[in-house]
Amino acid sequence: MTTAAALAAAAPALVVFAYGLATALATGLGAVPFAFVRTISPRAVAVANAVAAGLMLGACFGLAAEGTRYGAWQTIAGANLGVLFILGTQRFLGRREIRFGATGGVEARRMVLMVVVMTVHSFAEGVAVGAAFGGGMELATVITIAIAVHNVPEGLAISAVLRPRGTSLAACAGWSVFSSLPQPLMAVPAFLFVEAFRPALPWGLGFAAGAMVFMVFVELLPEAYEDAPRPAIGLLASLTLVAMLLFQRAL
Amino acid sequence: MDLTFREPALTVLAWSAISAAAAVLGVLPVAALGRGGRELPTTWLGWANALAAGMMLAAAYLLAEAGLAGPALPAALGAALGALAIFATHTALRRRRAAAGRTAFLIGALHSASEGVAIGVAMAVDLRFGIFLALAIAVHNVPEATVLCAALTARGRRLPAAAALAVAADASQVVLAVAAFALASAAPAALPWVKGFAVGALVNLVLTELMPDSYREAGHTSIALVASVTMGIVVLLRGLAP
Repeated sequence: MTTAAALAAAAPALVVFAYGLATALATGLGAVPFAFVRTISPRAVAVANAVAAGLMLGACFGLAAEGTRYGAWQTIAGANLGVLFILGTQRFLGRREIRFGATGGVEARRMVLMVVVMTVHSFAEGVAVGAAFGGGMELATVITIAIAVHNVPEGLAISAVLRPRGTSLAACAGWSVFSSLPQPLMAVPAFLFVEAFRPALPWGLGFAAGAMVFMVFVELLPEAYEDAPRPAIGLLASLTLVAMLLFQRAL
Repeated sequence: MDLTFREPALTVLAWSAISAAAAVLGVLPVAALGRGGRELPTTWLGWANALAAGMMLAAAYLLAEAGLAGPALPAALGAALGALAIFATHTALRRRRAAAGRTAFLIGALHSASEGVAIGVAMAVDLRFGIFLALAIAVHNVPEATVLCAALTARGRRLPAAAALAVAADASQVVLAVAAFALASAAPAALPWVKGFAVGALVNLVLTELMPDSYREAGHTSIALVASVTMGIVVLLRGLAP
């Protein structure tokens, strides 16, 4: 039994919070490249998006496999709820964005929107981390690492918007971490919910998988294709997905 | 309803041929709209692409589930090879896009050969799963033929010739499906490799061809919805199947 597993038995909610916090802090790493360069090419952000897409799709394969073991239709129903959740969040933000725009300039609105979008979508990731703990320690570690790694390019993306508009390096890192704070906050209730209602486990795993797949399709991929040639994006994302599957298998 | 023949190879042949022949349906919009297929129903094409993408990603997931039960490293190496095969043919296709129709046709044929491998491998895993994948690829063949046929007629080819080329480009799929099925059945040791190859090829096909095309043809949100919901339905159907 590893130390982490022993801790998990002792104080599960605390461990879930710690894992969620670790993924949030990883987001701050996205600001690091800006210590060396003042601007980062759109192509580099596109490449980071492709890697994130591959990791998330690979993670979804794991979530779906785990979920369908408990119940196939519950997993898929949960996945559709996850899709609807991201869709609803986007719609909601789309409406609010106009009001934000009335108060600030175009640049300010873009910066605010970036932070808000990234923060809101972290809720689903927090649910993914929390729900993953219901699927066992191994799956939880895989999903946590996947989301932590995936957070780095997100921090990169946030910093890429904030930094060229005059935000300090520390503030870039700060806003990056802030955008991921919903992860530890959502992970605990998601975990407790899953624990308390075992039958809801496939729903939770499906929800996370659906939210992640939809996010890949609606945000990461279209953005990636805009700034880099599509064979490069496709190959990179595919190889990352394969590596992710191999990684999950090895754990 | 029994969809298989007594001879498994005949089942592979029949269904991969049906899948390739679906390209004929893709010619119809161009025939209806006239030379060059002006005013192609792009939104419809995008949704068809997204539907095929969801089906293929789900198939890749199901194959990976079946494939990873065996040795992982050959499967992973096979997957990397499959992804590279799509990358190579697509890169060649882009470089020669301006070139004559013959080159585009040849590379298109090479491309659908990778899809044939996937069908053959899926058939070797389970005939009914193979039939499902053949149908998924048939869905993808329809808009693919529409685009190819429109491009060929726009370059001055007559409609019957363009239609014939668009369908013939998918013929290699039938040959490779039977070959991959034979290989996987005759040499079980090769199965992890070919399974991996099919997974890598399917995933990269979706990410390099289907999704970028879809995004250009219809809105991001509708594309993402169609693809992700289709994925869920397919995984569910497979999970419920006895």
